[in-house]
Amino acid sequence: MNRPLLLRTWSWLALRGAIIGLALVGWGWLMPFLYGQFSDLIRDMVTNNPVFEQMSSFGSGNLFTLGGTLTLGTQHPLVISMLGIFAVGTASTAIAGERQRGTLEVLLARPIPRRVVYLTLFVAIAAVIGALLVALLVGMYAGSATQDLLGDLPAGELPLVWLNGFLLWTSFVSFSLAASASFDRTGPAIGLSLAYLLVNYFLEILGSLWTDVAWSQEYSLFHHFQVSEILDGAADPIDFVILAVAVAVPLAWALVVFPRRDLAAPA
Amino acid sequence: MEQPTPSRLATVISTQALTKHYGRVAALTDLTLDVRPGEIFGFLGPNGSGKSTTIRTLLGYLHATSGSASVLGMDIATQSVDIRALTGYLPGGIALYDSLSGTDALDYLADLQGRVPHRRAELCERLQLSDAVLKRRVRDYSRGMRQKIGVVQALQHDPELAILDEPTEGLDPLMQQAFYTLLDDLRGEGRTIFFSSHVLSEVERVCDRVAIIRGGRLMAVHSVSDLLSRRRRRVTIRWRGGVPDLTEVPGLEDVRSDGDRVTATLSGEVAPFVRAIASPNLDDLTIEPASLEEAFLEYYAGGEADGVEGLDR
Repeated sequence: MNRPLLLRTWSWLALRGAIIGLALVGWGWLMPFLYGQFSDLIRDMVTNNPVFEQMSSFGSGNLFTLGGTLTLGTQHPLVISMLGIFAVGTASTAIAGERQRGTLEVLLARPIPRRVVYLTLFVAIAAVIGALLVALLVGMYAGSATQDLLGDLPAGELPLVWLNGFLLWTSFVSFSLAASASFDRTGPAIGLSLAYLLVNYFLEILGSLWTDVAWSQEYSLFHHFQVSEILDGAADPIDFVILAVAVAVPLAWALVVFPRRDLAAPA
Repeated sequence: MEQPTPSRLATVISTQALTKHYGRVAALTDLTLDVRPGEIFGFLGPNGSGKSTTIRTLLGYLHATSGSASVLGMDIATQSVDIRALTGYLPGGIALYDSLSGTDALDYLADLQGRVPHRRAELCERLQLSDAVLKRRVRDYSRGMRQKIGVVQALQHDPELAILDEPTEGLDPLMQQAFYTLLDDLRGEGRTIFFSSHVLSEVERVCDRVAIIRGGRLMAVHSVSDLLSRRRRRVTIRWRGGVPDLTEVPGLEDVRSDGDRVTATLSGEVAPFVRAIASPNLDDLTIEPASLEEAFLEYYAGGEADGVEGLDR
């Protein structure tokens, strides 16, 4: 780990991270609020008109339980976008962007092994993801408190929810950073990383909206982020293992490939 | 690990048949050369000749296809990090962190280097980088100012070896002179400088020895003084009352007469030539100083024209 690189990376991410962190606190607060205020209304709508039933579920979440609502909150496109800015946007441009701008030249002219550069960037971005997930969960806890729903929220399970979410999003960081270390330009790195995120997301949402292809959810990393199950005390260790493997494989690959890459002079 | 003392090393940079291929393209072929402690070593060649490939292989950006090399007594394949700890590198066309101020960029790079930048103040003063300039963001800098920051970041930690890839690109003539003086002083302090350039005149001005590279192959390594002394000079002589027979004059070739004016090329020492032509009828004599440019062109004689066109004079 290289301290100056770590601190500088955090410094560059600080403002963006603070803004998105605040947005996630607000979003997290909104989920229990929606559940507290509108779940009965939505339940009535679904009962009276089955068309709404399909629309009331999204991914692995729904609006009929607090856990389901919080799950929905973690899988909503808005949250995907906010966390994706760092997990995909920042990670996929972290190395390829420096390479494209030419600043990787001066960085690697210092006595820092490439593996250390890679690991430092990985830790820096993963830590930001971890902090943003804390912000989301803080918002959810605060929202539950304001709606008098703390009785329904097993707060002791929240660290496990955080760990599950952290593994999910760090797997995207790991993949995107590996892509970033593999290309000389940001375009292919961003494209590949975004495609990886969207395919996973598509498989999860498709399976939830179309029961004939519900099997597709099993192939999505998002399906292994099970807020509802964890809050119900039924966390599946396999979900954690799968996500940990999804973190480790690109990480190991990049740690082998990046030091071996030839870095020709920038065009 | 105990770091080597450059002055005790026989060579600061040593390559043996260093070769780099990109697929089927040979960027560098069998490069064998030695750079001695305390010298300014010019690495001269047109764009695309393999200068940057050599530097990047020495510093670990590229991995050699075959051959070996050591820098400061350390193997480039296994001790690249240790090499970079003792080296200052100015990449060609340096890019810096645009969002940082000049000071912040230099601080950041010094922190990454892990050595105290105790030469910075002197370098900034000599390159006329004032505090006001250093407080501005890098994105507002001109190309010349970026290049100055590049020079400072490479030398601020007083490296044992400086590898400078086309360091005067973008510097105005005054700053170029200041930079040359700076290099002279570093040499005086026993520092070794590997100086890549395609500008012949500056290599002639600052370097002790020069390697000429073309198409990824080393063409020659000479001391600059040796190269210049062996150069053929262009001679113009004007006579009163007819041109004498010059066929026996030592070292004179390509003699052409035009009335009372003779042009020729002279190789070797000047003194025997002057003695041979000394005459009361000698009206005027011009001997154009030997330039490295001509020495360089000689190495390229018979080669493809594009090899020569890439050079600036």
